[in-house]
Order: sequence, then structure tokens, then C-alpha cells
Amino acid sequence: MSSISSNPIESLSTGFIYNLELFALTLLLALPLGLIIMFFTTSKFKPLAWVSKVFVWIIRGTPLMLQLFVVLYAPGLLFEIPMSNRFTAAVIAFVINYACYFSEIYRGGIESIPKGQYEAGQVLGMTRSQIFFKIILLQVIKRIIPPMGNEVITLVKDTSLSRIIGIAEIIMCAERFTKQGLIWPLFSTGLYFLLFNGILTILFGFIEKKMDYFRA
Amino acid sequence: MAILEVKNLRKNFGSLEVLKGIDFSLEKGEVLAMIGASGSGKTTLLRCLNFLERPTEGQIFVKDNVIFDSSDARSLGEAEIRKNRLHFGMVFQAFNLFPQYTVLKNCTLAKELLAQERPDYKSRKKEIFEEIREQGLEILDKVGLRDRIDYYPHQLSGGQQQRVAIARALMLQPDILCFDEPTSALDPELTGEVLKVIKGLADHHTTMVIVTHEMQFARDVSDKVLFLDQGVIAEYGTPSQVFENPTEERTKQFLERYFEN
Ligand SMILES: Nc1ncnc2c1ncn2[C@@H]1O[C@H](COP(=O)(O)OP(=O)(O)O)[C@@H](O)[C@H]1O
Ligand SMILES: [Mg+2]
Repeated sequence: MSSISSNPIESLSTGFIYNLELFALTLLLALPLGLIIMFFTTSKFKPLAWVSKVFVWIIRGTPLMLQLFVVLYAPGLLFEIPMSNRFTAAVIAFVINYACYFSEIYRGGIESIPKGQYEAGQVLGMTRSQIFFKIILLQVIKRIIPPMGNEVITLVKDTSLSRIIGIAEIIMCAERFTKQGLIWPLFSTGLYFLLFNGILTILFGFIEKKMDYFRA
Repeated sequence: MAILEVKNLRKNFGSLEVLKGIDFSLEKGEVLAMIGASGSGKTTLLRCLNFLERPTEGQIFVKDNVIFDSSDARSLGEAEIRKNRLHFGMVFQAFNLFPQYTVLKNCTLAKELLAQERPDYKSRKKEIFEEIREQGLEILDKVGLRDRIDYYPHQLSGGQQQRVAIARALMLQPDILCFDEPTSALDPELTGEVLKVIKGLADHHTTMVIVTHEMQFARDVSDKVLFLDQGVIAEYGTPSQVFENPTEERTKQFLERYFEN
């Protein structure tokens, strides 16, 4: 836990570091994990596809808040290996949750590519991996950028949910001042989110623009 | 010597028999027009030739080499299928150009990838790419798109896109070039430019199998006409035989319906 500062700005900034760390780690791990989950849910081996689909359904159908509690407490209560670090618990819950959402976005992107693209590659003698990497991949990326942008912005805001398992993220820090009768730190947290999401929006806009040279 | 020979080709989708024993052959430099009602199995036949569908039964020979034989127990591996299908080129009804590549790159990509398998690829990469580029420019010139090489597919009209697709297929110098209703997705005023390119290829003795609903064109361009009806060849012959003296009642009916319009 960070030491509690009496200076609101200092305190909020320290808290926001937690939000940013959780954000960055979740993205870093959930982006590739989502791909693996997507391979499972679309697997030709039916039991694997079925189990992973049920898993995704459960994760998407229950609150992230509940998942945070489960990750924090279940290991200790069920297997007697208590979760030693709350932040690790938060990262695990977020990564699993977001990987499931990402896997669905990936799947939607891949399924939206017309069969004719694969067939055109096939009749030109390309291998399966050449077709995927040279033809399909960029078209998929172009298609999933907008939904990924939405998801990433939601993630920034969701990081505050980690306070529920005791992470001293920015809103928790602001609340201390509210209890002392000071409201502006609470409002200020909104500015942190707005600023960061503003940057992300510009970034995603830039990527979308970069890929505007073709239509798919 | 026939360049293509198809023997007793059958294709079922589950219990649905789509091709019920197709036999025909094609000489080098000949153009075969394939006509028939929607659902008669024309697309399926072309897809079997290009290994996009696996025939249920039958044999396919190219230049007297077996490239598919259903009675051969060992199933073809991916590498072998890749090699065999290069005897054929395919132009799709919906063009299926690669949207993220320029016109030129659409044409050169496959050849560049195939070049990676050449033993001298590493040492001569630059020259090989230059050769491929030159060839791409030459072929795009032939289809009248030399000035569009840096355009992306969405910046072209349908007719231009289909001409790029033809150029792309020609790049790999297939023995037999297949067309599946190449003008059906086009506005009527754009069909002419595509048909003209195909006619030009026919005049240069490119071996082709063309599925089309353009009867006048089929008659002008083809050496043989094949009328497919419910998965069987109902009529086969020269254009004048099939169009002027069809022997089968169903051929007559089919042609009447087309020439009425
Ligand atoms: N992948 C498939 N699965 C099941 N049925 C198919 C498939 N492809 C084509 N068919 C059926 O095969 C028949 C012939 O189709 P097709 O070869 O496309 O005819 P055409 O090109 O002459 O219009 C149709 O009845 C069609 O519904
Ligand atoms: Mg068809």
C-alpha cells in the first residue's frame, strides 16, 4: 500500500499509478490470451470448444466485481493457498475477464472475412499460413480496431473496480478526502480518466486513419 | 493430346448429388463454354478442378498426368494439392481481390511467395522480384490497366477489378484458366470490357473453361460448348451444333428462355 499523502493531487496521482499499472498489465496479457481462447472456442476438437465456450459465457455473463472476489478468496478458501497479493489477484481477474471479451472480438473479426479471400489465396497456390499472414490478418485487424478501442476505453474505467478488493486506486484515494469534507478531489478523478481516455481515443483514431487506405 | 481430361466426376454434398458423372476433355488452346441453369452444378465443377471441393468420385488428368484420382487410397497432402492446383487458374464471380494490396501487388504476391521455394531465392531475391514486377506490368498492360498499377481495388470499377483478377490468375501461367460467371456481378455497361479481355485471350489460344450466361459471347468465343443440366452433361459440341441444332429437348428449352430476353 502506498503511504497516504495529505496532498490531494499527490494522493490521486499515486492512486492513478495503480489504475495505469492494472490497465497496462491487463492489456499486455489479455491480448495474447484472448487469441489462445479464440483458438480454443473455434477448435475442431469439440469438447475443447465446448468447455471454452462455456467458460467465456460464464466470464462474460457475471460481474467483474464478483470475479475479483473469487480470484482473491477462492484459492485460500478452497485450496488453502491464500492469494498473497491483492494486486496480483486484481491482475488475474482482469486478464481473464478481458481475454474473454477480446477472444470474442477476434472471432467476430475472423468470421467476418469473406470465404472468397481464402479461396483466392488457395487457387494462387498459397499455403495456409501465407493466406493467414499475408491476406487475412491485416483485414481482421482493420475490422477489430473499432470494437477493440471501445473495449480498451472501458478497461481504463473498469480499473477502478479493483478498489473493491482493497487496491488504493484513484477513486479510493479521493474518497478519503471526501470523508474529510473535500469534494473537488472526487471530481478531479474524472479529469484523470478523461485525459487518459482522450489520449487513447486519439491513438485509436490515428490507427484507424492509418488503415484507411483500403476497404475491407 | 488432351490438355485436360475429366473422367466420371461425381460430387455429393451429403445426400445431395450435384455432379452425377461428368466426362469431357479439352485440347490445348481450346475454349470450353459451360452453360446451364442456376443450380445445375457449374460452379461445383469448376471448384472441383481447382481443388476447392474434393470430388466424391472420378479422375482428373492434365497433360496425361493424374492430378486427382478418387480410387487412389492415399489422400493428397496440402503440398501436393498446392502443386496440382497450379495447373488451373480461377477467376471468381465476385473478383475476390485482396483489398489491402495495390493492383500490381495483387498480381505479383502469389508469384513472390512461390519464389521463396526456389533454391536461388536468397541469392537472387532482388532480381527475382524485379522479374516478377516486370511480368506483372506486362500482363496488366494486356488487360488495359497499366495506368492503374498503384490503385487499390476499392478505387476501381467492377469491370476493372475483374480485369485485375484475370491478370492475377494469368501471372502464374496456368495450363487451364477457369472463369465462373466473370461478368455476372457487373453492371451491364461494364461487361463488355471484361468480355473483350477474355476474347483477346481466346484469340491468343489460352486454354479456358468459361461458365457464362452470356450466350452470344459463349457462341463467339468458344470452340466447344457444354450444357450442364442437373449434374449431367446434357449436350456437348461445337457452338453451332449446340446453339443451332441442339439434339436434346431440354437444351432447346433452355436456349429459348435465354434468347427470348
Ligand atoms: N457447399 C455446398 N454444400 C451443399 N450444397 C451445395 C454446396 N455448394 C453447392 N451446393 C448445391 O449444389 C447445387 C449446384 O450448385 P452450383 O454448383 O453452385 O450450381 P451453378 O453454379 O450451376 O448455379 C445447388 O443445388 C447448390 O445448392
Ligand atoms: Mg454458379
